[in-house]
Amino acid sequence: MARKMLIDGEPAAALEEEATDFDFDLFVIGAGSGGVRASRFSANFGAKVGICELPYHPISSETIGGVGGTCVIRGCVPKKILVYGASFGGDLEDARNYGWELSEKIDFNWKKLLQKKTDEINRLNGIYKRLLSNAGVKLFEGEGKVVGPHEVEVTQLDGTKLSYSAKHILIATGGRAHLPDIPGKELGITSDEALSLEELPKRVVILGGGYIAVEFASIWQGMGSTVNLVFRKELPLRGFDDEMRAVVARNLEGRGINLHPRTNLTQLIKTEDGIKAVTDHGEELMADVVLFATGRVPNTKRLNLEAVGVELDSNGAIKVYNSYVKVNEYSRTNIPSIWAVGDVTDRMNLTPVALMEGTCFAKTVFGAQESKPDYSNIPYAVFSIPPLSVVGLSEEQAIEQANGDVLVFTSTFNPMKNTISGRQEKTVMKLVVDAETDKVLGASMCGPDAPEIMQGIAVALKCGATKAQFDSTVGIHPSSAEEFVTMRSVTRTVAAAKPRTIGGVQNQLQ
Amino acid sequence: MASIFASTTTPSITRAGLLPKRALGVSSSTVLGLPAMGKMGRVRCSMEEGKACSHESKSKMGMGMGASLMAAAMAASMSSPAMALVDERLSTEGTGLPFGLSNNLLGWILFAVFGLIWALYFVYTSDLEEDEESGLTQTSKKEEEGEGESVTKKMAVATSLTVTTPKKLSSLSSLSSPTLHSLFFSKALSFSPSSSSFLSLRKTLLLSPSHHTRTRRRSFTLSASANPHNYDFDLFTIGAGSGGVRASRFAANYGASVAICELPFSTISSDVTGGVGGTCVLRGCVPKKLLVYSSKYSHEFEESNGFGWKYESEPKHDWSTLIANKNAELQRLTGIYKNILKNSNVQLIEGRGKIVDPHTVDVDGKLYTARHILVSVGGRPFIPDIPGSEHAIDSDAALDLPSKPEKIAIVGGGYIALEFAGIFNGLKSDVHVFIRQKKVLRGFDEEIRDFVGEQMALRGIEFHTEESPQAVVKSADGSLSLKTNKGTVEGFSHIMFATGRKPNTKNIGLESVGVKIDKKGAIEVNEYSQSSVPSIWAVGDVTDRINLTPVALMEGVALAKTLFLNEPTKPEYSYVPSAVFSQPPIGQVGLTEEQAVEQYGDVDIFTSNFRPLKATLSGLPDRTFMKLIVCAKTNKVLGLHMCGEDSPEITQGFAVAIKAGLTKADFDATVGIHPTAAEEFVTMRTPTRKIRKTNPSEGRSESEVKAVAGT
Repeated sequence: MARKMLIDGEPAAALEEEATDFDFDLFVIGAGSGGVRASRFSANFGAKVGICELPYHPISSETIGGVGGTCVIRGCVPKKILVYGASFGGDLEDARNYGWELSEKIDFNWKKLLQKKTDEINRLNGIYKRLLSNAGVKLFEGEGKVVGPHEVEVTQLDGTKLSYSAKHILIATGGRAHLPDIPGKELGITSDEALSLEELPKRVVILGGGYIAVEFASIWQGMGSTVNLVFRKELPLRGFDDEMRAVVARNLEGRGINLHPRTNLTQLIKTEDGIKAVTDHGEELMADVVLFATGRVPNTKRLNLEAVGVELDSNGAIKVYNSYVKVNEYSRTNIPSIWAVGDVTDRMNLTPVALMEGTCFAKTVFGAQESKPDYSNIPYAVFSIPPLSVVGLSEEQAIEQANGDVLVFTSTFNPMKNTISGRQEKTVMKLVVDAETDKVLGASMCGPDAPEIMQGIAVALKCGATKAQFDSTVGIHPSSAEEFVTMRSVTRTVAAAKPRTIGGVQNQLQ
Repeated sequence: MASIFASTTTPSITRAGLLPKRALGVSSSTVLGLPAMGKMGRVRCSMEEGKACSHESKSKMGMGMGASLMAAAMAASMSSPAMALVDERLSTEGTGLPFGLSNNLLGWILFAVFGLIWALYFVYTSDLEEDEESGLTQTSKKEEEGEGESVTKKMAVATSLTVTTPKKLSSLSSLSSPTLHSLFFSKALSFSPSSSSFLSLRKTLLLSPSHHTRTRRRSFTLSASANPHNYDFDLFTIGAGSGGVRASRFAANYGASVAICELPFSTISSDVTGGVGGTCVLRGCVPKKLLVYSSKYSHEFEESNGFGWKYESEPKHDWSTLIANKNAELQRLTGIYKNILKNSNVQLIEGRGKIVDPHTVDVDGKLYTARHILVSVGGRPFIPDIPGSEHAIDSDAALDLPSKPEKIAIVGGGYIALEFAGIFNGLKSDVHVFIRQKKVLRGFDEEIRDFVGEQMALRGIEFHTEESPQAVVKSADGSLSLKTNKGTVEGFSHIMFATGRKPNTKNIGLESVGVKIDKKGAIEVNEYSQSSVPSIWAVGDVTDRINLTPVALMEGVALAKTLFLNEPTKPEYSYVPSAVFSQPPIGQVGLTEEQAVEQYGDVDIFTSNFRPLKATLSGLPDRTFMKLIVCAKTNKVLGLHMCGEDSPEITQGFAVAIKAGLTKADFDATVGIHPTAAEEFVTMRTPTRKIRKTNPSEGRSESEVKAVAGT
């Protein structure tokens, strides 16, 4: 590997010489976050790069995609736009106690927002295309397929096929939402369609407890829809800190979303009054729209990967749904010339992670710098209303992983804005600290601006900041964020790797 | 805990039985006092004995001593002249009842109840050392919220106690121990020392160089006065704002007896008005931010149009609703602050404090002595003396106007001026800002100064640059005009001066005792906040160091540690982050580009000026500006600046990173949170410009030196 890298890295002579053997140094299948980043950076390192992407449309399928990928077209960006739009719902309520007299009738025009969202996405799609051409990356519109370790085939819109040879092939085809196999599932939609509905639904049933489910619940609730959120576990957001999950659940409920924990949908039935969603408790929920937010699957089916011997894995799930590309820590598959980054590898399915993987790939293969993506202390956010953001370990993970006891600092407070608006919603913050090393292992927050606040905290955590360093930082007053540097007393101490004592307050001040 | 309680019930009850007699009978009887003390001493000693085996050396320096030795020490301390002093003061304090109760009898009852509780507490002290502290810290945790709740619960207990008559009090001794136990638990934790003269007694006891960590904690290393004088209080604080309250609470938590005085509450500060909570809570950060929240809505309404929201009629703002709700909130907060003090056993005295001598404070004619005096009287707005200045308002008044200004002139280019400009602009006043310089916010990063000025102008604020005010003229119709060096602008309903603040150092006796005051009127202090008079200390705006609430808090904590925890602590002024709640707001930490170039020579500047996602939809001309200043030699991030939505919230976390000395590489290694504005700070890949002042060879040697110094 190392030697190989050296050869790749000796740009001028080596590359030129080998370039004669291949049409491209790199051919990328999929122009989403990871693919675009990898191609641009590789091109910047001097590689000759081609990239192919399916034609653009807001709703993805085997044959539809668009430059920009999930994040730009069907994920982060449109989602956040809708969250902004929905947040005004709560803000308007809050404004009254601040002295604002609002007309009784406030209109929310979904079509207008949708149009503006689509305009913005079209604009971004164009920007991404320009980014690629400015970087000297050749873009092909069509469906890419791996034909051999160094061969790709692109089926263009008109059906003509192009064949190219490439020294390296990068799979960055991402993933997409998948529907559970229940009777009437064709009546339900996925997040793709949810971002592009013709009409704002009055009644929504959402199946799923993950971040997508929670975000859409907040979006629709904020816009005035009646929302039923159905999920299998006791609390939404499995994998997050348990305490924070409870906070999110409380907030969703507080904002008026109907939660159905420990519940599943068994079938959807079309009726005159809309869709009848039947739960496993026999309950019937009427809806105009039923959203399945039940997970995403990698887009590997039509890439012809098995034929060239690229190993796929299924992470224990049913293979037909969930065959992701297996890669090593440098994002390389078992075929040395074929690599993969982003959601198609199902490592940590976040845009900034795909960017990191893409950058590391380019550095490793064309930048003469062996780079492994570092998955520690990656911050992320759930854009529920109010949002949740976390970095590092949850309390549960910390107890498992920490050397010593785990000190938990929590702060639950009424944000200043609520003192006048009268909104009953607490902001909750949490720091998890290793008692032995004083290192802050994890931070979480649920409340307004949490994602913005967490980014800086993440820098500190990434570099192993200690609680003492947090404490020595002066607060910015009055802000919510200052609470993170003014948590003086331990809420509880939990012995490492032992069951947590519920309510057992063991104060250990030094 | 429970078992120890059982074993010591008897002595404490004896003590409790004595209390009513003492309380109702002779207020200053040394005769009665002595046996009481003797008993106490014994209780104490037996405690020590009992505990000797269970505690480790450090916390119990008295454990090696036998009971007899302890008793001897007690006796010695009691027969000393100090004892007489203490008892004399008992009578003095009889008139100045704790918590300012007017009813004398009720006061005594309270007094007695506290005594009982305290006696129980006393029995437990040594064992409680740890628990008490954490308990206190916990109750004092959330100042603005949780505190309020715990305060309420605490007061309920207090009320139930005060209805007990003295008779019943003695019968209390026969109560079952669980009740006592719970009483003790709910109260003793919060009502530890001070606030009754018993505590002076206790203090005397504890001051005897014998048995307890508390004794050592009480010692202080920095104070010059080490005389064994006895004072009413260990600490007397003048001014119950952020710094004063913090220092007092922490001092009390560390075992000091503390009193604090503050002027009566008013939204407008003066020589005779103030209020518990101080500038921040009553006339600064809090009301300002509440008005910012309110005024921001007009921008949000505009934004919401772009997101599909439509209003049948334009939203209108009702000033009086806002001000009424704001004032209700301020009343709540000042109440919470009072409760915080009470819960920490800090005696609050309402009135104007004046220093009489290095150890005596006069509050409206009553004298209090203290080992240390803390001056934390803050500052207040200053209006320059120009013709017609009496028609102008300051920020105090601006926060509490009876009606919304139609057209307002704001004189000044500092953060207060900009914040109010944003507030009134958001509430749809016609706002004109007059600044002497070319740009707003002197002292801030130049690019930030330019950027915020542009953004505010785009939102409709009119800036009049390089104009100095010369006179305010009131015309016959009541409207005001402002005459400047460039001309006269007419038709203002209000003219506000945000032309600086001055420390409140006048007429509080500072000069007479020899406390040095600088040219600006600020108290000169050393790095431990000690003034030129060793027993007089000062924190917060009155010292004019960095005039920010969290800095005053830091200074207050540092002082309490220095004086009462035997931990000399200097406040740390490096990398203090701060914010301007203009619209859009600013967050910053560390050096400006100009400072960085001056101090480090070679710096790399990373900037990002972008249209946030929200603005692309709203169609408004809002932009966000971000800037990182990096030392070219060490790669350390020297400064971070941001102007745009959420800047203050975003800056806080980065301040932790920068304070910890992280490098640009560390920023780059952090993964972004997508999609946020903040992620821009970790995705700035190429410097906007590189500034090089040193030649390469010099640079290298310097970098080595700095790298070593940095680690």
